[in-house]
This record gives sequence, structure tokens and C-alpha cells, in this order.
Amino acid sequence: MKLTGLKSTENAHDDSIWAVTWIPETENRPALLLTGSLDETVRLWKPEGGDLIPANDPITGHCLGVVSVAAHPSGAIAASASLDSFVRVFDVDSNATVATLEAPPSEVWGMQFHPKGTILAVAGGGSGSIKLWDTSTWQLIDTLTVPRPEVPRPGDKNGSGKFVLSVAWSPDGRRLACGAMDGTIAIFDVAYAKFLHHLEGHFMPVRSLMYSPFEPRVLFSACDDTNVHMYDAEGKTLLGSMSGHENFVLSVDASPDGAAIVTCSSDRTVRLWDLKMRASVQTMKTHTDQVWGVAFRPLGGTALRTVLLASVSDDKSISLYDYS
Amino acid sequence: MASVYIPVQNSEEEVRVSLDQLPRDANDILDILKAEQAPLDLWLIIAREYFKQGKHEQFRQILEEGSGPEIDEYYGDVKYERIAILNALAAYYTYLGKIETKQSKKDEHFANATHCYNRATRIDRLEPSTWIGKGQLHVAKGDFSQAQSLFKIPLDENSNNIPSLLGQGCVEFNLGENEINRDKKHQHYITSLNHYKKVLQIYPACPGSVRLGIGLCLYRLGRFEKARYAFKRVLQLDPENIEAFVALGIMDLQTSDADGIRKGMEYMENAFEIYPYCTMALNYLANHFFFTGQHFLVEQLTETALAMGNHSLVKSHSYYNLARSYHSKGDFDKAGRYYMASVNEISKPQEFILPYYGLAQVQLKLGDLRRSLSNFEKVLEFYPENSDSLKAVGHIYEQLGNTAKSLETIRKATKNNTKDAQAFLELGDMLLNTDAGSALDTLKTASNLFKKAGEVLPIELVNNIGVLHFERGEFEMAAKAFKEALGEGIWISIIEGSLRMDSNTSISHYRDMKPFRQLEEVGDSVELPWQKVTTLFNYARLLEQLHDTEKATVLYRLIMFKYPNYTNAHLRLAAIAKSRNNIKLSFDLIADCLKVNDKCPDALSMLGNLELKNDDWIKAKETLRAARDVTEGKDSYATLSLGNWNCFAAFRSERRDSKLEATHLEKAKELFTKVLVLRSGNLYAANGAGVVLAEKGLYDVSKDIFTQVQEAASGNIFVQMPDVWINLANVYFSQGQFTLAVKMYQNCLRRFYYNTDTQVLLYLARTYYEAEQWQDCKKTLLRAIHLAPSNYTLRFDAGVAMQKFSASTLQKSKRTAQEVRATVAELKNAVRIFSHLSAVTGYQSYGFDEKKINTHVGYCKHLLDASKAHCEAAEREEHQNRQKQEVQRQITLAEEARRKAEEQRKFQLERRKQEDERKQVMQQDQHFQRIKEQWKSNNASGSKRKDRLLAEDEDGGYGERKKRKGGGKRKRKDKKNKAYSELEEDAYDDHDVENDRNILHNLDDEGAAADAQDHLLAAGLEDSDVEDTAPTSLVNRRRQAWSESDDDDHNPSRKEYDRENSTERPGSGDEE
Repeated sequence: MKLTGLKSTENAHDDSIWAVTWIPETENRPALLLTGSLDETVRLWKPEGGDLIPANDPITGHCLGVVSVAAHPSGAIAASASLDSFVRVFDVDSNATVATLEAPPSEVWGMQFHPKGTILAVAGGGSGSIKLWDTSTWQLIDTLTVPRPEVPRPGDKNGSGKFVLSVAWSPDGRRLACGAMDGTIAIFDVAYAKFLHHLEGHFMPVRSLMYSPFEPRVLFSACDDTNVHMYDAEGKTLLGSMSGHENFVLSVDASPDGAAIVTCSSDRTVRLWDLKMRASVQTMKTHTDQVWGVAFRPLGGTALRTVLLASVSDDKSISLYDYS
Repeated sequence: MASVYIPVQNSEEEVRVSLDQLPRDANDILDILKAEQAPLDLWLIIAREYFKQGKHEQFRQILEEGSGPEIDEYYGDVKYERIAILNALAAYYTYLGKIETKQSKKDEHFANATHCYNRATRIDRLEPSTWIGKGQLHVAKGDFSQAQSLFKIPLDENSNNIPSLLGQGCVEFNLGENEINRDKKHQHYITSLNHYKKVLQIYPACPGSVRLGIGLCLYRLGRFEKARYAFKRVLQLDPENIEAFVALGIMDLQTSDADGIRKGMEYMENAFEIYPYCTMALNYLANHFFFTGQHFLVEQLTETALAMGNHSLVKSHSYYNLARSYHSKGDFDKAGRYYMASVNEISKPQEFILPYYGLAQVQLKLGDLRRSLSNFEKVLEFYPENSDSLKAVGHIYEQLGNTAKSLETIRKATKNNTKDAQAFLELGDMLLNTDAGSALDTLKTASNLFKKAGEVLPIELVNNIGVLHFERGEFEMAAKAFKEALGEGIWISIIEGSLRMDSNTSISHYRDMKPFRQLEEVGDSVELPWQKVTTLFNYARLLEQLHDTEKATVLYRLIMFKYPNYTNAHLRLAAIAKSRNNIKLSFDLIADCLKVNDKCPDALSMLGNLELKNDDWIKAKETLRAARDVTEGKDSYATLSLGNWNCFAAFRSERRDSKLEATHLEKAKELFTKVLVLRSGNLYAANGAGVVLAEKGLYDVSKDIFTQVQEAASGNIFVQMPDVWINLANVYFSQGQFTLAVKMYQNCLRRFYYNTDTQVLLYLARTYYEAEQWQDCKKTLLRAIHLAPSNYTLRFDAGVAMQKFSASTLQKSKRTAQEVRATVAELKNAVRIFSHLSAVTGYQSYGFDEKKINTHVGYCKHLLDASKAHCEAAEREEHQNRQKQEVQRQITLAEEARRKAEEQRKFQLERRKQEDERKQVMQQDQHFQRIKEQWKSNNASGSKRKDRLLAEDEDGGYGERKKRKGGGKRKRKDKKNKAYSELEEDAYDDHDVENDRNILHNLDDEGAAADAQDHLLAAGLEDSDVEDTAPTSLVNRRRQAWSESDDDDHNPSRKEYDRENSTERPGSGDEE
């Protein structure tokens, strides 16, 4: 297994790029790359022969930086959110606004659509909760609150609740994992809107979570403590801890074949991890500043034999890699 | 039985004196001799007999009497016998003088001898035996050249004088012994040898001792086989010749092979059996038994030798043997005393240096460094290349704190013997702390030497090579070295990743030893030899450096499992836990560590650090104090931490109490200074001192300090001091050098924090704020928020930055509608942020004053309202500007058209002109042709004139052309050619037209200007309108008020000099 660096698109945005996701292909068009940046725009890109071509004009309308983007599994709609706590849901092809979501005073950090596309889960920052939005009516259907730990941790000064940063749906859509500023990971049963348990091990912000596409119990977490953890999310056990990054691990994504994960970090690198060896097998150094996001292109039905990986960075560039 | 017969005077009778029954009292015999006036030779015989029996006193008495004045009287005509007696007496005194150790008595004896010889000479100057005796006296005195000339006198008489030849042989041999120059030495031995050979030729039946002389000469000349032959011949002649036995023994012993030593010892034993008091043999035997470890025999033999021997060098040997025996038994006191005795016997150290070396060794062992040093130096004086002594001297200098001398000495040792691995190892160790580069090279040399010699590499050596590579950042080389030092073991499977700890316990349960126990139960060996612990620890440190923290923790845990007292492993694990923010685990590990040693300063320091992180101020102070006390203030870290504590304390309280602040600062300064006195190179203390100075406003001084610390800190991977960069930037900021401050903050962020430190980002934002670069300020804050989402203070600051930006944009006298629109957007964002904060604060405390936020919200909303008017105005202005621009554009278009038309016209004009010219030229040509024809007809005499005319014509042509080039200016009328007038008139016309057009143009301009003025007027009116409509004065006043409040509460933590000294001291001891 290895990554082959393709072309990097320099100055893809006017400022730091903070968010990236792939929009699945539809009948009319191939999969597109969606990026969000501090320059307050969201941009769509079409990969062509290892190169990225802008799919349309930069989408404006966000204020303050764009911190996260999410794509509906159908590929028809996508969501983007910025520091001003608005979520804008838009039609990918027409760029028409479908809905604008806000749930004050809850901010917006990580977002992910339900695997079936029925719900959009949004990490609500200081509200200590996840907001669930119905994707047909765009109404807030539920708020999952992360309970406070019974025994306050040492160093927990003002005893404030959890600050929720990241969310991840299990592949079957029954579980929702959420990562918080203080390192706790909470697992929810979505159907019953019930908190199940915490996963222990991190004590610093968990900025990104990702379930394995093949093993529904396995959850990966990216944390500021420079480690990537691999949990059995049901059994509450830590399966492995992988160290190697020199600074915050900012994002994690699992390869479509389930054999590897890719992480990116403030240390300007992108790392490929072999899950069998539980070791870093490759380190890519294409970026010159913090790398905020990595995303594997989902396997499409047609003609998509190669697995593409994209990473975005504070250096305003997008890098593409071939995973094989 | 031999007897002498003393003839009775005046008779034929004789008194028979049995020589083995000589009376005890010599007077009895003397009486007979005197009474009977016995011949003098009888006196001599009897005296000699006494001497042979060891009765020296009687011998002396008889000879004294036999050389007295009465004898001279009675035996005046007996020359030879008188001389013989005197010579015998002189020889006796010579012997006494030779064996006497006291110088005064020695001199007395020699004086007596001289006296006797002089008397003998007075009796007969030519008697050769007297000269020979004198020669021997001088030999005894050590005055060989004098002796040589004395021996020569009888030889001049008779070149075959055997005693003289022997004397000369002896003298030459001794001269050879004393000679330093090799060639001359050789020459002396050869001469000596020749003398002895001559004796042998003259008198082949001479005693064996002559051959002994030959043997010794040959030995000295290095002809060992011949020497051996000579000694053997001596033994054939004299089977009890001890010297020959000893000589042969020495020669055999020196072959150093087992056979030789056995034979040599046989010879020595023979000598010992024949004469048990031969000191040489005793010494050699003792020496042998020393090596065989029979110390009892050594002592006995040497003690006998000491009792018997008088020769100081041999005595010295004996003492040395004795000392060595005690030395090897570990009785250093006695050994030292005997070495000392041995040394005292030696007058010339070069003859026997070993006791000095032994003495130095013992003194070193007993800690008497200075004396030891002087003795080693004595050894080096004669053997300057002796590497053992050099190493010892180097070691002593190091102990005495003279590093430079020490290095010099060891370096010499490595130069003298480039194969001495031990010396290289020592040199390398010594260089470790001063010159890492050379240390590495030296240690590598040592390692190669050990390998070449096939010896086992000392693990410390390979470990140190690893550490040096580590320090230089050559991690792969370091890993290689550590692995080599570690060899095979359970750690290999950990390092290679094949052995993983049960993951569920690996993170939060660093203290859980179950996995190792399970391994042991399964039957895997979990061994860790003690001497490998340090290297394993270092390897774990290396893994940490390479961010392979997981494996590092497993290694630390292995160390902890096998050696629970190895607290460094606990400390590192605690540090890892702390860096991962697992405070509780870190506390637990430190507690374990303190259980092992509750006075462990590192653990205490770390505990204090943790308590600080936990905001446990009072406890932290106590812990740090305890840490300082257990090290008696020697450990800079604890003192530094206390200094930092005071710094923190000075600015911690919200309400600034200047008195308290000053006290704390003073205390901090005192502590930092204390550290600096102890270790002048402590960067952290210097940094701390700089902070205190900066807080007192002494920016220039503190800037100097920070700059120096910054320079010093670069270049070592273990020293990471971002603080000093921040402090420097803070000073720049305080001095208003915003650009420099920004650069410094950015470099610091990039270099040390991968741009992730929100605090530094905040400093940067504040600098932008003060520099009124609002957009940069806002962007920086947004980045900070992105990195630290739960820090609502940053949001507040961002809101303030946006508000400030808007306010300042609105205050600008000139701005575009675009700007104003941006301002409005920004204000909306600010309002949103403030309202959001206000809502959040409702149910969670973030330390904001809700009222203040509401004030901000109110103000922003107000600004927003105001800005609407601004916006409209700006839009109107923009609209007007657009109109203006449109008019302008049309004018420009018209003008363009006009210009084009004119160009067209000009072009045509030009063409017409050219045509005219052509006509003109043609006319001239015709005219010229006509003239030519005239000339032709008028005879061709005046060729000159013709030329001139031509020239004139051409002149005119050129001039004209030139003017035409000059452009369409008015032509002068001084042209001769009439043909121009027409043209000129044309030109005038042209000009007139142009002028008219100019006027027209001007008129247009005026129109446009008037138009523009209208616009301006309108705009101006609008301006004043704005001024009027908005309640400017009020707004301004409030604005100012708010600005002030902004300055107060914006970035509550902004001007903190970063004091966390971040000496995350990693258990500190990674080399031991």
C-alpha cells in the first residue's frame, strides 16, 4: 500500500483551506471535491487527470472562515458551515440555497450526513451537544447532549460542560460518535437518542472521528495529543494507539478498502497507516503549513478504479494523491 | 693443615703457627713476630689468614703494626714487603670505604687508603702494585678517568701487566655503564672486552672471574649467545660462581618463554643454594614468586635480601618486590611505605623507575593526588611516552579540575600509542561535555580499535556514541549505536513492533505491569541486564524524539517493571502523560517515583510543575521549595521554577497591586540572579531576568538579554526556547516596533509551534490591532478560534477588532461604497458574535461581564444604523462618481474622435506638402539644367564658381528639409525662393485653424470642469449632510469611551510575557 503524490493545486483559495470533502458522483457528473476556506468561500473542483479544475465560481455568502463541509450521500446537496455558526445547505449543481440552519447559541464545528442521508449531524461546540437536522424538512429533530463526567478531571477549571468538536456516523447509521475538546469521545444510540458510554484515552481536543467502512465497531480518532486511536466503540476498548505525528492530528479518514487510514497534522505532513501493522508506512510532505483535512474519494460505480485522496492546508493548496 | 714457621731469632728453630688455630688475640702473634723480628712476608701471610677467617680487626691490627714507624726503622732495607703491607692495608680501607654508606666515614676510609698508598709510593715510586691499588681506590670512589690514568702507569712499563689490564677492563666497563651516548657506550664495552681478552691470552689459566668480565661485556654488547658461552665456561672452571649463575638466570628469564623462565629459575635456585645471601638471586626469585602468587616466599626472600645486601639499587629492587607484593594483596599502606623505601634507595631514577610508578599508583588509590601526580610525572620524565602514566596523569588532572591539562595529557597518550583503545575511550569520555564533535570521532576510533583487537566493546562506549549522534540530531546513527549496545533481548521485539502491549492498558495504565507478568507466565524471558538500562532508556528517549511515543512508553514500562527504582523511567512516562494532558496519570506516576525516593529533586520539580498546571498555587510553591531544599539550592531548575512562580504571582491578580507586584518581581529577580551566579550560562535564568527587567520598563537592557539568549539557544536540539522569541517580540511591541514584533511572532509560531499556539496568535493579533491593521488582526483571531474553539475570549476579541475596523472606516474622510458595505457586513458579524457570546454567557461562565457584551452589542447596532446612512451616502456618491465617470468617458471618447480626425487631416496636409516639394525640386532641376546649358554655352572656365553655386543650392535644400523635419511650425520669411510663399501662407492657415480648435477644446474643458464642479459640490453637500444628520459629536464621544474600554478589556491576557520556562525537563538524565 502506498500513496503517490499527484499534482498540487497552489493558491486554490485566497487564504487557509480548512475543510474538504468529496461529493459523490451522480448520473450527470463525476464526483467533485468541495473545499472551504478562511477566505469565506466554498469551492467545487473537478479532478481531471491528476489535476483539479474549478467546477464553478467560488461560492460566497459565508462570513468569517468556513470550518467544515459535508456532502449528502446522494451527491445532490452539500452543507458548509463557518465560524459565524450558520450552516448553509445548497444544491451542488445549481448552487441554490436549500436551507440555512442555525441553533443559537450553539456554534457549528464538525458535520456529517447520515449514511442514508436522512439526518445531518452537527457538532454544537460550547452547547455541549450534537444537533440533528432532518434533511427533508430541515427542522431540528433532536439534540444529543454529552453528559458531564461524574468526577471532574483535574485541570478542569471552571467545570464547564463538554465542548463538542467532531461527529461521525457508524456505517449502519445506528451509532453516532462525538469528540470533545477535553478528549472524551461519546457514543450515542441514535434511534433511542441515548448516550451509551465514553471512550477513554484522549485528554486533548479530538478534532476528527471516522468509523471504519467495513468494521462497524471500529472507530478512529484524531487528537491534539499527536496520537491516533483505534477503538472498539461498542466494547469501549482501545484497540491501538498510533504515534508518529509531531503535532496535533487534525483529521483522519479511512481508505475505502478498509486496510488503511490517512491522517493529517499541524506538523505539515500527511501520513498513511497500515492497520495490520498499526504503523505509519508513509509520510507525505507536500504541504508547507498545517494540513487541516484529508478525504478519500468514495468508490463510485463506474470508471473509478483509482482511489483518489485529497488534502487541504493552511498553505492555500490542495494536494491529490493516488492510493494503491 | 697449613702452617707458617716463624724463625726464632739467632737460632735455627722455628715457631710453628697453625693457620687455622690463630690466637683470638692478635697481640699474641704480634708479640712473637716482633720478638723474633720475623720477616715481613710472614706478617702479611698471617694478616691475610685473619682476613680470610673474617677476623678483620686482627687483620687490621697486624697490618697497622706491620706498617708502623718502628718497622720502617727495623726493616728499612726491606722495600717490597713494606710496600705490600701498606698496599694491603690501603686495599682494606678502600674496601671499607666502598661498603660504607655514611659519606663522612666513607671519606675517612678513603683518606686512610690514600695515606697508605702515598706512603707505599714514597718507599718506591715504581712499584706497579701501588699504582694498581691507587687505581682501584679511584674505581671505588667512582673516579674512573683518574683510575684509568693510574692503571696506565704500570702498563707503560709492562703492557702485559695483568692486574692493570683487569683494572682497565673494569674501568672501561663502568665507563660504558655510565655513558649515555649509545655509540660511545658500545665503544667502551668493546675496549673493556679487549682488555679482558688480552688477559686471557697472556694468562690462559686465569680464574673464571676474568671470563665473567668477558661475559658481562658481551652481554652488554648484545651478543647474548657468546655471553652465555662465556658464563658457562666460568661455571666449568668454577662450578660455584654465583655471578655466573645469576647472569645466566637473568638471560634465561629475559627470554620470557616458559622454558626460559624455568631454566632461569633453576640457575637462580643454584645460586641460592650455593650462597643463600646473594641479593640478586634473592630478588629474582622473589620476583618470580610474585608472579606465581606465592607472596609468603616473596616476603621471606626479599627480607633476606634486604638484610644481606648493601648495594642500594639491589636493595631498592628488594623493597620494590616487597611493596609490589603488598600492593597486589591490597595492603596499600604497607605497599606505599615499601615503595617509598625503594624510592629512597634510588639515587638516579632512570636506573629503576618502577617503584615510582608503584608509589604513584598507591598514592592515587589512597587519594593523595598531588604526590601521585608528581611521581607519575617523574616516570614520564624518563619515559615520556608511557601511556599508562599519561592516562593516570590525565585522570589526576581531571580529578583536580584542570580539564585543559588533563585533555592535553590524554591526547598525548593517544598520539603516542594510536592503538590504545582505552586511552581513546578516556579521551572521548573527557570530551563529552566540552567538544561533542571530537568526542564522537575519538570514541569511534576507540570502538574501531576494540573491534580490531577482537575485544568486547564496552557498552558505555557504544552508548555514548549513540548519545552523541542523538545530540547532533543524527537519529538513525544514534539508533544504530543504541541497538548495537543493547544486543539481543526482549526490547528488540518491542522496537520492531512485533511485541505490542495489550492496547487497552497501554495508554491510561502506564503503571500496570500485568502485560510483562503475562509474558513471563507464558514463558518468554523478560530479562534486562542492569548495565543495559541506561542505553535502553536512551533508546526510549530517541523514540520519543522521533515521535514514536508508543514504543517509547513500552520500553519505559519494561525498565519500570524490572527496576522499579529507576525513577527516570517514571519521570519520562509522567512527562509523556503530561504532554498528552493526562494529568491524573502524571500525578500518579510522580507519586510512585516519590515513594521510591521522597527527596528526588526531579520528581519534586515535576510535581510542582503539575500543580502549577492544575492551578494549585500554594501547593506548587511548597513543592518547588522542597525541591530546592533537597538539593540545597544547587539544582537550578527548582530555583528557576520558584522564580517563575513569583513572576506569575506578580501579575496574576486581576486588580493590580503595585506593591505586591514589586515584591514578587524583586523576589523573582533575586532567584534568577542566584541561578545565574551558580551557572552563568543558564539561558532560562537569563530569560527570566530579562522578563523582570522588561516588566520594569527597561526595554533596551532586556532586549539585549533576550537577543543573546536567542542566539545561544539556537543550535542545540535539546534547547527549545520559543519564550525568548516571544519576549523579544513583546519588547518590540512595547516599544511600538510593530513590524518587527509581527515578524518575530510569526517566526516563533512557525519555528516552534507549527503555527498552532493560540496564545502567540493572540499576541500577534494584538500587535496588528495596535498597528491598526484590522483585517490582519481579524484573520489572526479567526485562526486562533479555529485552533482553540472553546476559547470564547478570542471571539470577543474578534468582535472588538471588527467593531474597531468598522468605526475607523466610517471615520475616514474618503472611502468607497465597497468599503462601507464591507463595514456593514463586518458590523453585522460583530453584532452576531457579541449576541452569541451574550447568549452563551447566559448559561455558562466564561468570565465575561454580560453588561459589557451588551454594551458592545448596543454600540455595534448603533454603528450599524449610522452606517446605513453612510452606506447610502457612499452609494450615492458612488452613483454620482459613476455618472461622472460616464461623462468623463464620453468626453474622452469625443476627444479621441477629434484627435483621429485631425491626424487624418494632418496626414493629408503632409502629403500635399510633399507633392509641392517634389514639384519644386523638379522646377529647380529644370532651372539648373537650363543654367548648365547656359554655362556650357558660356565656356566652361569658372569651375569654382560653379561649385559654389552648387553648394549654395544644396545648402538651401538641406536647410529646408531640416525645418520640415522640425514639424509644422511657422516658416521664416527669409527664404530666397519665391516658391515658398505659397506654402507659407498655407501654413498660416493651418495654424489659424488649429488655434480655433484649441479654443473650442478649451471651451469644452470648461464645460466639463463646470460639470465636475457640480458633482463635487453635490458630493460636498452630501458630506456635510452626513455630518449634520449623524449625531457626530455624541457618537464620537461615545466611540472614544468605548475605545478606551476596549483597550482595557480587549485581550485580557495580552501583555503577559511568557514565563512558562518550558524546561519540560525530561527526567533530565539521559546519559549517565
